[in-house]
Amino acid sequence: MKATVLIIDDSLTVRQQVAAVLTAAGYEVIEACDGLAGLEVVRTHGEISLILCDVNMPHMDGLEFLERFKGENSRQTPVVMLTTNGTPDLIARAKRAGARGWIVKPFQPDLLVGAVRRIVGAVAG
Amino acid sequence: MAGTTRKPKRPGKARTEIPIQPAQVPPRIATLPENPVEKRLTGILAVCLRELIDDLGAEPAWLPEYQPSGDSEELLAASVGFHGNKLRGSIILAGQPRVFARLYPFPTLHNPPDLADWAREMANQAVGRFKNRVLAYGLAVSVSEPKSVPAEDLRVARTKKLIEIPMAIGIEDMRLDALIEFDVGPGFELAEQPVTQKGPALPEGSIVLF
Repeated sequence: MKATVLIIDDSLTVRQQVAAVLTAAGYEVIEACDGLAGLEVVRTHGEISLILCDVNMPHMDGLEFLERFKGENSRQTPVVMLTTNGTPDLIARAKRAGARGWIVKPFQPDLLVGAVRRIVGAVAG
Repeated sequence: MAGTTRKPKRPGKARTEIPIQPAQVPPRIATLPENPVEKRLTGILAVCLRELIDDLGAEPAWLPEYQPSGDSEELLAASVGFHGNKLRGSIILAGQPRVFARLYPFPTLHNPPDLADWAREMANQAVGRFKNRVLAYGLAVSVSEPKSVPAEDLRVARTKKLIEIPMAIGIEDMRLDALIEFDVGPGFELAEQPVTQKGPALPEGSIVLF
């Protein structure tokens, strides 16, 4: 069974890029357009192996999503932030909230796949 | 932190690490502010644009003179605002759809891509770079959500208080227009040089696993 990755980003372009890269690498990818929609997907969808989440989004930003997700879910689904932002205070906040990693856009496809394999493999194993 | 990965540089495109360099103003911007702080700010913003286009696989060329494009109905345009202590501004990117298509990553995977969304994401990534760069100069800024700009609004005079720096960037036989606009309040400060050698923000393409 394929591992499922949820990508949360308000940019359709970014969601398509991530989906194309991860689908080609053998993952199932589902999408949400902001933090609120991401929480809804998490509540209704079955097993999710990894969540990739933007930070700057309408309705609910990525850090608020992360904090609410970790607060509401006993599951240890890893969350990695994928954003243009590389500032240390936000990275530290994400780490405190339980994020598993931080990626600064634009991402390199091979490095993204490598990071996903590392995390999803670690979760499965 | 463990597992920091820095993206490899493109072959044949050795690039200066911007955070350890003073801001460089592109040589052919027609209307540069005279105030040195504003000039530095303009330089940083321009370098962020150049870097972004470079990372998207194109070779940007600053066109000698800015002339407003004559076919606004066919333009795609997007803007992202930023604000910080005594500073507010935005970057607007505008161009014909084919220039955004040229800069679209993974061109063979999506046909046709949503170029308006991509224009917004490009503006977002340009301002994101700016946010990361200026942190090395001791300036923290917040970034607003990307917006599409109706083509007709590109011709409307903007708030007079804003400093406007129009630029035209040549990409092969195409042109991307960029309008940098900002307003700095009294007492606004920006270090002459980056405060740290490495820059405190993670560079683009980095992956850090905790």
